[in-house]
Amino acid sequence: MGGYILRRIAFAIPTIFVVSIGIFLMVRLLPGDIIDILFGGDQTASEAVKEQAREQLGLNGSYPEQYWRWISGIFQGDFGFSLRNTEPVSNIVVDALTVTLELVILALLIATVIGVPLGVLSAVKRDSGWDLGARVGGLVGLSIPSFWLATLLLLFTSRAFGWVPPLVYISPFDDPIGNLSQFILPAISISVFTMAIVMRMVRATMLEVLGQDYVRTARAKGVGRRTVISKHALRNALIPVVTIIGFEIGVLIGGAAIIETIFGLPGVGYVLLQAIFGRDYPVIQAMTLLIACTFIFANLLVDLLYGVLDPRISQE
Amino acid sequence: MSDETTSDSPVGGELDRRELLKRAGVVGAGAVAAGALGGTAKAATKRHRATPIKKGGRLVWGLESDPAHVAPFGGILTANHWAKEFAYDSLVEWDRNLNVRPALAEKFEILSKTAIRWTLKRGIKFHNGKELTSADVKYSVERMLNPPLPGSISTVAQVPAIDRVQVVSKYVFILHLKQSDARIIGFFAWQRYAPIVPEGLYDQINVSRNAIGTGPYRMLGYEPNDRIEYVKNPNFWKKGFPYMNSMQLKILADEQARVAALKAGAIDGATLSVDVARSLANDSNLRVLKGPNAGFRELQMTIKRGEDKPWHKQGVRLAVMHGINRADIIRRVYSGEAEYSGHVPPGYGPWPLSDKELKEKYEKFDLPLAKKLMADAGYANGFKVTMTTFAQQDYPLISAVVQSQLKQLKIDVEIVAQEAGTFAANNGRGTFDWDLTGRGMRGDVDGYVAEFHPAAPVFNIWYPEYRAVKAWRGIGNGRIQLDPAKRIPIYKAAQRELMLNPVQIPLVAIKKYQVVRKRVQNMYVAFSDFNTGLRNVWLNG
Repeated sequence: MGGYILRRIAFAIPTIFVVSIGIFLMVRLLPGDIIDILFGGDQTASEAVKEQAREQLGLNGSYPEQYWRWISGIFQGDFGFSLRNTEPVSNIVVDALTVTLELVILALLIATVIGVPLGVLSAVKRDSGWDLGARVGGLVGLSIPSFWLATLLLLFTSRAFGWVPPLVYISPFDDPIGNLSQFILPAISISVFTMAIVMRMVRATMLEVLGQDYVRTARAKGVGRRTVISKHALRNALIPVVTIIGFEIGVLIGGAAIIETIFGLPGVGYVLLQAIFGRDYPVIQAMTLLIACTFIFANLLVDLLYGVLDPRISQE
Repeated sequence: MSDETTSDSPVGGELDRRELLKRAGVVGAGAVAAGALGGTAKAATKRHRATPIKKGGRLVWGLESDPAHVAPFGGILTANHWAKEFAYDSLVEWDRNLNVRPALAEKFEILSKTAIRWTLKRGIKFHNGKELTSADVKYSVERMLNPPLPGSISTVAQVPAIDRVQVVSKYVFILHLKQSDARIIGFFAWQRYAPIVPEGLYDQINVSRNAIGTGPYRMLGYEPNDRIEYVKNPNFWKKGFPYMNSMQLKILADEQARVAALKAGAIDGATLSVDVARSLANDSNLRVLKGPNAGFRELQMTIKRGEDKPWHKQGVRLAVMHGINRADIIRRVYSGEAEYSGHVPPGYGPWPLSDKELKEKYEKFDLPLAKKLMADAGYANGFKVTMTTFAQQDYPLISAVVQSQLKQLKIDVEIVAQEAGTFAANNGRGTFDWDLTGRGMRGDVDGYVAEFHPAAPVFNIWYPEYRAVKAWRGIGNGRIQLDPAKRIPIYKAAQRELMLNPVQIPLVAIKKYQVVRKRVQNMYVAFSDFNTGLRNVWLNG
């Protein structure tokens, strides 16, 4: 198992390196830089002043030089500073990540807690009213755009109950209830798609697993229906589901931008969006690298979980 | 429809810009005169004498974008000033009708073309308890001229030709100019780039996240992408102000989130788009405010060397000017809530051309004339052109209307909508044929026409082959003419020249909508695009 983990980590390092180069170049391939934006409304600035601004922000030097400054800084724990407000990028990332991680964890929790049992129920009671309801619900969940649902939920609660989630970020350590009331609507909005995928995936894999010989054997041996489902069938059925959830972590972090914007949550997605509009290279690079690393890390975790769910995988 | 127009009505007891400068003794070259700047903050109280003003309470205002930082100097985003405007003051200020009024300065005297002596009011205290002195002004002006990070030196171009500040005494200083520059008063009145801060501010606090000024509210802090917190400044130099105890500016980028928060009472007011604001007009808890705004839309063209594009001919540009039906744009894009605009937007004090002049002469929709001009220029069969614009707000819509209108002149307009950063890059580098773009607030009328003068760096990027000698003369003379009475006709004449020989085709000036809860009293929509009205707001319940 130790060797397996080391192999996976060793594979992740060059991936991150390649991703970092990709991110650095892609950001600079965007038309226009922060200087264009800073001087966008000003028709009287000279080229000399623009060049001075470029130097002031540390945007001088060739791309390899700039890349080296950035990547060597990261190895020393220095992600640079925001071009828009000179805040250390690491501070911006930590603040934003706290919000987004909570949102994503809550969304995954909702998606899993509802999606998995619903998928199992749908598979076990195949072609019943439960199954039909779950399948239709799954289809609806896949079809509804999360930003639309978020807006609808927000407008509905404000109109029907005169209530909107608290506007100012509440730490879960200061006020867990207040924090939950702030995150519940955005988490529901963002979880519906994942919930539908999880439900459908669990249903499909459960149906497959329930037809396997070892399940029939277990039943023939007189093992109880509940035990067969929970211990024999579900555990094996969960392997592809874990894969999906692993993927969804990255997708949710990246896709949280609109939801965070709608609910005024200063998370990774929202901050990244603002940084892109403002061509704030250090923030874009750090946030994108963070999302990429989360994706890689989540996949690493999924790979490791395979080993736990099915020891044969790690032995191979 | 119960929209309240808030910025149109004049308010008594205030000096207009002309009167103020007269009193200040601005009489042109070499003049030495003096005059007290009278007037106090009567305006806000005068309008509401019927309803007793209630003091106290807390207001939450929804801001539509993040300020990035709240540093006093070099903030490029409008949102930067939205966030900091309640913490700082400047030497003079604008009232709601853009009349200049005294603020931190008691008076100023024009000593010569390049020297103005200012006298500060005594006893004004910063939020940290320190008294305002000439040394603070010197420190502030030096940073206006060279904004430290996180400010951007890109704002320096907005600063008039200030050379240095000479401290004469604790309350008197002389502002030396490099050359005569009439933009100076508007620059300070605008306040956006000219706040007065205590000496050594940048060594005392993190200016990105906090502020120390003389404003009506003391900033408690700015949380990026989240909020700005203010509390009342009990030592504010305008006695009796402000009314509220505290204020929070909550950043809510999504418009529907602002609507939901307004309806739920989580915020007390916010800026909204025309249609959304009007849809709230029947809500018994809300009040819709509207007012003219500095923002106007225009069609911008390039005239570069070595190119021979149809619009290089003055006749074609004039044809476009008369081939665009602005009334139709106002009706279709803005539901009737916009106005004709020249190069200086309507509402900008005495400087713009009149609505009548625009409608009946310079911007008159006259298709036969436009077709004749096209034919005379040799383009009776039209031509193809690419028009770039922003991919958001009203820009794609107004572009589509202009596109359909110009079809009548057989001009085949291809619209390319771009993200703001991309658009800004192409616009700044002049890599476009036509741009449908916008202009915003300026501290002085010069800011609206300076770009048509060859001295502007961007002139050589956008239209080096453009010739408008009479307009150039007016723009050059206007900037150095300190007497406003003489400046007004100079700029009007320059604008008329620009209208007859346009290189940018002004389209329409838009109105700004803000929606407040009924308890919010005395709020108005500021022409400047800031939320200046919040300074004097009080809460009824």
